Amino acid sequence: MPKQKSYFFSTVADILIWIFLTVFAIIVLVPLVFMFTASFMPAKDIMSIPYPWIPKTFYIKNYWQALRGNDGSFIYVRNILNSFLVASVTSIGTILLCSITGYGLAKFQYKGRNFILMMILSTMMIPFEAIMIPLYLIVTNLGWQDTYWALIVPFLMSAFGVFLMRQFLLTFPDELIDAARIDGASEIGIFFRVVLPNSVPPMATLAILTFRSQWDSLLWPLLVIQSPKMKTIPLYIVQFAEEKFTNEGALMAAAVIASIPMLILFLSLTKYFIGGSNVYTGGKE
Amino acid sequence: MIFIKKKTGIEKKKARWGFIFTIPAIIFFSVFSFYPIINAFITSFYKKDLLSLSKPKFIGLGNYKYLIHSESFWNSVKATTIFTVGTFIPLVIISLILAVFISSRKRFQKFFQMSYYSPALLSSVVAATIWLLMFDPRGLANQFLNFILNTPGKDYKWLTSSGMLRLATIIVYFWKYIGYFTVIFVTGIASIPQSINEAARIDGANRWQVFSRITLPLIKPTTLLVSVMAMTQCLKTFSTQYLFTQSGAPLKPIDVITLNIYNTAIRDHQIGRASAMSIILFVIIMVLTLIQFRVSKAEEVQY
Repeated sequence: MPKQKSYFFSTVADILIWIFLTVFAIIVLVPLVFMFTASFMPAKDIMSIPYPWIPKTFYIKNYWQALRGNDGSFIYVRNILNSFLVASVTSIGTILLCSITGYGLAKFQYKGRNFILMMILSTMMIPFEAIMIPLYLIVTNLGWQDTYWALIVPFLMSAFGVFLMRQFLLTFPDELIDAARIDGASEIGIFFRVVLPNSVPPMATLAILTFRSQWDSLLWPLLVIQSPKMKTIPLYIVQFAEEKFTNEGALMAAAVIASIPMLILFLSLTKYFIGGSNVYTGGKE
Repeated sequence: MIFIKKKTGIEKKKARWGFIFTIPAIIFFSVFSFYPIINAFITSFYKKDLLSLSKPKFIGLGNYKYLIHSESFWNSVKATTIFTVGTFIPLVIISLILAVFISSRKRFQKFFQMSYYSPALLSSVVAATIWLLMFDPRGLANQFLNFILNTPGKDYKWLTSSGMLRLATIIVYFWKYIGYFTVIFVTGIASIPQSINEAARIDGANRWQVFSRITLPLIKPTTLLVSVMAMTQCLKTFSTQYLFTQSGAPLKPIDVITLNIYNTAIRDHQIGRASAMSIILFVIIMVLTLIQFRVSKAEEVQY
């Protein structure tokens, strides 16, 4: 008898858990569905009560307006390309520089190595928000205002990236490196031909982390970019949201366009996204 | 003899290369991390205007003294504290609950994780823009509350009354990061060996006992780590508050410290004061990060 009772309770608990998880999933997905459906509706439908959810017509005009802009300059297209360029170049630079540093710190013995490592790791304590004003002054002094340099160079390395690559390379087989050395390969040659090709998983994780943070960045571009043609996607959306002639549907269309690349990246490389959030905790995949 | 000599030669050459490989990093972090933080520290003792060409004037602790008596600074401290506490506590608790529930399922684990994670894919600006429309007086947020609380036609003033505006920024942030932390917890729980759970079940422990006596103590380090991470991230929040105020919401209730630094430096041109605030933010985050380092070291649980 008691056994049956506990079975009953655990079934009820089970059903409640399923309901909770499902309801929560629906609540989380509602704003995304809203963004997507609203991007196909004229403004008067979006703001009607109750919200219609299913677009009556595919109002493609929103996407046209989002791309064309209120002034017909198509500057959003250029801004999207800017975002791609900045995020890609930063990611490639970061994986190269962080892995060469991680390699130098993991596979060689020399005086001061641990000191260098500690100094690099200590920069993790410095939040970007605390140094953005001096950085802004440096960039202005270099004459980099309104250039790609300003958007890329200060983010070409991260202490976390060095840490990630070093941890990975500590377990890299010495035999591979020594074999190449005996074959007469140069140290730089060993790095590019032996170490890099065998370090793809942590590099992919690092590349995606970097790409996402550059794609997302608002505060820094806000400081260093003024001209419309140098803007990145977040800057454009902020401006587009402020403009008087922007209707809600076009704003959501611009948002959908901004989100599609990340969605594609996520669906094709899910493992590295999830892995990226776990490297902080040292969790295993 | 010759052999030994040659070997040390190779070792020396190797050591030199190891150092050469770290040179780019030394230059990079000197220029883009150490110099700026030292510069911010020094500038915080000066009265410096962004546009003025005259030499900055040394005023000692003047900027800090100013901040202590500044209403705007304390307002920012209050806004940041309300936002941080109001966001990271629900984030940690609910992501933990979700992760425990997901881990207890035999099917659809991936589906739920991916659904909760999906808002994290949007950039902060896009997330804030979507909610900006949903918080419109005619928007979905009012429709939802009116439906649940049975108050047809009431406007909850999401973007105008200060309490609701704070809640609105908290909701945006909570929504964007809930899945991110859930995924971390799911991984933490998955690393607990199945055999421990099974042994407990065989000994007659019920579900609640397994959770409270086994799961919870074993993922305590993950919980601490997630708490510190969530807290530091909340302290640095900017995008949502910026977009909301740009779209006409009142600044005061959501004038978080980062937004205040930005406005003080760029709108008011007060570089000295902005630097003093930066240094205060730096000290708080440094303390939290040190805790995070300690915790991640202690995290290596032996099963």
